[in-house]
Amino acid sequence: MIRALFRTLFRKQQTEQELDDELRSYLELTTAENERRGLSPADAAAQAHRDLGGMEQVKESVRDVRAGVSLEILAQDVRYAIRSLRKNPAFATVAILTLALGIGANTTIFSVVNGVLLKPLPYPDPARLVTLWESHPTWGPFLGVAPANFYDWRAQNSSFDKMAALDPYPDFILTGAGEPRRLAGIAVTADFFPLFGVRMALGRGFQATEDHAVVLSYATWEKYFGARPGIVGSQVRMNDDGYTVVGVLPRDFYLVSKASDFEARARFEVWTNLGLASPPPAWARGYHPLYAFGRLKSGTSIQSAQADLDRIAANLRRLYPDDNKDKTITAFPMEEHAVGNVRTALVTLLAAVAIVLLIACANIANLLLTRAAARRQEMALRSALGASRWRLAQQLLTENGVLALLGATLGLAFTLWSVPALVRHLPADLPRTSEIAVDGRVLAFTTFLALATGILFGLVPPIQSRAARLNARGVASGQSRVRGALTVGQIALALVLLAGAGLMTKSLRALLRVSPGFQTAHILTARFSLPPRYAHGYQFGTGRHREISVFQRDLTDRVRAIPGVESSAFSAYLPLSGTFNDWAFFIEGRPPKPQGVFDLTDYRPVTAGYFETMGIPVIRGRSFTRQDDEDHPLVVMINGAMARKFWGGEDPVGKRLKFGDETWRVIVGIAGDVHHQGLASAPQPEMYVPWGQVPNVEVRPTIVVRSFVDPASLTSALRHAAAAVDPEVPMDQVATMDQLVSGSVSESRFRTALLSAFAVLALFVASIGLYGVMSYLVSQRTREFGIRMAVGATRGSVFAMVLMHAAKLAGIGVAIGLVAAALTGRLIASLLYGVKPLDAATLAGVSILLAAVALLASYIPARRAAHADPMESLRYE
Amino acid sequence: MPESEILQGTLDLLILKSLALQPLHGMGISRRISQITNGAFDVKAGSLFPALYRMEQAGWLASEWGESETRRRSKFYKLTRAGRGRLQSEAQRWERISLAMASALRAT
Repeated sequence: MIRALFRTLFRKQQTEQELDDELRSYLELTTAENERRGLSPADAAAQAHRDLGGMEQVKESVRDVRAGVSLEILAQDVRYAIRSLRKNPAFATVAILTLALGIGANTTIFSVVNGVLLKPLPYPDPARLVTLWESHPTWGPFLGVAPANFYDWRAQNSSFDKMAALDPYPDFILTGAGEPRRLAGIAVTADFFPLFGVRMALGRGFQATEDHAVVLSYATWEKYFGARPGIVGSQVRMNDDGYTVVGVLPRDFYLVSKASDFEARARFEVWTNLGLASPPPAWARGYHPLYAFGRLKSGTSIQSAQADLDRIAANLRRLYPDDNKDKTITAFPMEEHAVGNVRTALVTLLAAVAIVLLIACANIANLLLTRAAARRQEMALRSALGASRWRLAQQLLTENGVLALLGATLGLAFTLWSVPALVRHLPADLPRTSEIAVDGRVLAFTTFLALATGILFGLVPPIQSRAARLNARGVASGQSRVRGALTVGQIALALVLLAGAGLMTKSLRALLRVSPGFQTAHILTARFSLPPRYAHGYQFGTGRHREISVFQRDLTDRVRAIPGVESSAFSAYLPLSGTFNDWAFFIEGRPPKPQGVFDLTDYRPVTAGYFETMGIPVIRGRSFTRQDDEDHPLVVMINGAMARKFWGGEDPVGKRLKFGDETWRVIVGIAGDVHHQGLASAPQPEMYVPWGQVPNVEVRPTIVVRSFVDPASLTSALRHAAAAVDPEVPMDQVATMDQLVSGSVSESRFRTALLSAFAVLALFVASIGLYGVMSYLVSQRTREFGIRMAVGATRGSVFAMVLMHAAKLAGIGVAIGLVAAALTGRLIASLLYGVKPLDAATLAGVSILLAAVALLASYIPARRAAHADPMESLRYE
Repeated sequence: MPESEILQGTLDLLILKSLALQPLHGMGISRRISQITNGAFDVKAGSLFPALYRMEQAGWLASEWGESETRRRSKFYKLTRAGRGRLQSEAQRWERISLAMASALRAT
């Protein structure tokens, strides 16, 4: 068979050569004959050429016939293949369905991988796009950028065509267009749109120093402004202020990003201009809210750009040691940045689904072996009638090709249904899901799969027939050896998948067993966006939050009056919500640190009753009360991790610390640790500050409501209560705490669910394979069993013999599978939490499961063997 | 007789017939046909080789490389079993046709 394949590759060239040889010999023979007839050598040759009628014309007409014949043969083979499949509908149905499932599942997962990992970013010349970060040896390589630093990078570099920055924070409250709405806002520098090659659907982008100008996303324009074509130039009212619409983004533009940056599927609704003062004020080097991007100059490598940035960073360290001590700059390809943390998971899923297809192919190969045995006579007859080995192989390949194509077509139909269904269920932190589609590349992949599988399972019967020829004892042993090898392979592959699924499941369960540090049940959460008037008159560190405090107190009182509500409070940053803020602090009585060195920790503004509502234990001291407001002494709470890190054995309660505002705050209590950043990450040092005493302004309070009843049922009552306090405050992001916890593990849950589904599928297909092989074996050996029983073997011993055979195959398969699982386990180590890739319990568990299923699959064939009538068996054949 | 008037079925039959006794190379087939038809059919290379190729693919002919009478390397064609069967059935069919044609033309 290999030789036959090899021949196809060289066949064309070889036939051409042979045709040339043949015609030359014809010429020479004719010339020789002419000479014998007495012509001069020259005349003889000329006569021969005339007789031939032009070498090229003859060749051409042979080629025409050849092409016609090949097509005709193909058509004939296809017709024959379809006829023979229809004659055997059970085989055809099983084979086509198996293939359809295997190819369909592979194509579906490939569509996801294609959209998320393989497609170039949806911007012109995407390979030149990089993300730019401040980096620090202890805080990490991907830190936010200070506006003043960005200003200097942009001015001093010589590697980038353009550099742009964005601030993803500023949300807007849209009024004057129906109910007040919070719109997800983003501020970008004027270079941002040109950098990404955006062509506005309407209007233009920003000019460098423009203020109160806004660009709408296409969806916002449609949803809130009725897709009015005259929108450009008109005024919209946001945050109690007037903005001029200068442009509308194209429908398909969006910013590809990663979940931990802002949102994986970031759909910003309104874009405003991020004007940087020139030159930037000194304070603009001390906070780091920006994300920066660059477009490399054509022909500039990222390495040489990095060298350029290193030079700038060294310069900035020297000039501004306070803010840039130890700081470097990192340039990282945008494409890799967005998908870096999902690559392993997606590639694992693709590998898993490929294994399912391999196992399915082995089943079809087994079916083909059975068919090949049944068709041996037909083939022998055709061979005797003059069909060459090549011709027969070609016909078999055509049959397999037809099978594979039918399977692939059905599989593709499955994909067209499954891809949109899967996209709806993808975890929210998977980026680029809007780019997942069944496109040309996916179709090419399916075609490739169809061809590869067709050849793969088509290779087995010819290999087997070679093995059988070499084996003097006859066909059956050669067949059973190939079948045995296929089965062992299936079991080994199934074990690898089961082990992977087992590890993932165990990891997910470990993750879900992590106590988040608060009581998740019976809590409803919703976020409010307070208009700017709530922060009017606010100055840094003055503690003027009275308007906000009044809103919070009123709403809390109204909510507590709702039947079924136990308590309620506010927090600026909920656990597992991905939102946070951090603050530098100094502890009283500690030696002063050198310039530019300070302790930094997460801080969370909360209102009275927060710890009680959330069920966060107070370990020492007290929690906040309503008295901890603007008019009372400044207090702060810290968590256990912060107490351990900064006070060790000492009792921090009663100690004092301050932020940059020179006012001391007394630590009044220690709260239990909470997994704010995700169940898998260890709790970090954190402090809590009463909302009325925070040094900055926080206008996005999230309410938490603990209830005796189903928390989701309180949504409309909560909305009414909020409208009664202030109808101009939008409320959104309504969710129960259970939903937030569940959402925070959605990626892990998603890949565990898919991998488990594939593993179960693999187990099912492999057990069908084993059942088929054992059934075939029993039917082949019926005579032998009859003889054994006739000479005194018991039914039990025959039963045991068949089971032992199955157990041997399963045992070898499991052994090989365990080695493979141990080797591949390391590859998914980064996806696991709380479980080692070589988890003995998991490996033992899946081995036992697989062995049990294998024995179950052989039980029926073994029973059939044991219950064979000896006389009947002997008469068999 | 001009070559263009040879019907395809006729050429196939003539080639099969020419190979009935022994394997021949291309020119040998051409000469043999000329000989057994008393020079009525002169098969040119442009018709011969496409036909040979087609018939080989159909499984009627098999070929192998050998040495010609003048010790030149040539491709020899021979009848397969299927080819022999084909020759028999085609010959019978042709005889029926020619008898029918002859009686039709003799009729008044």
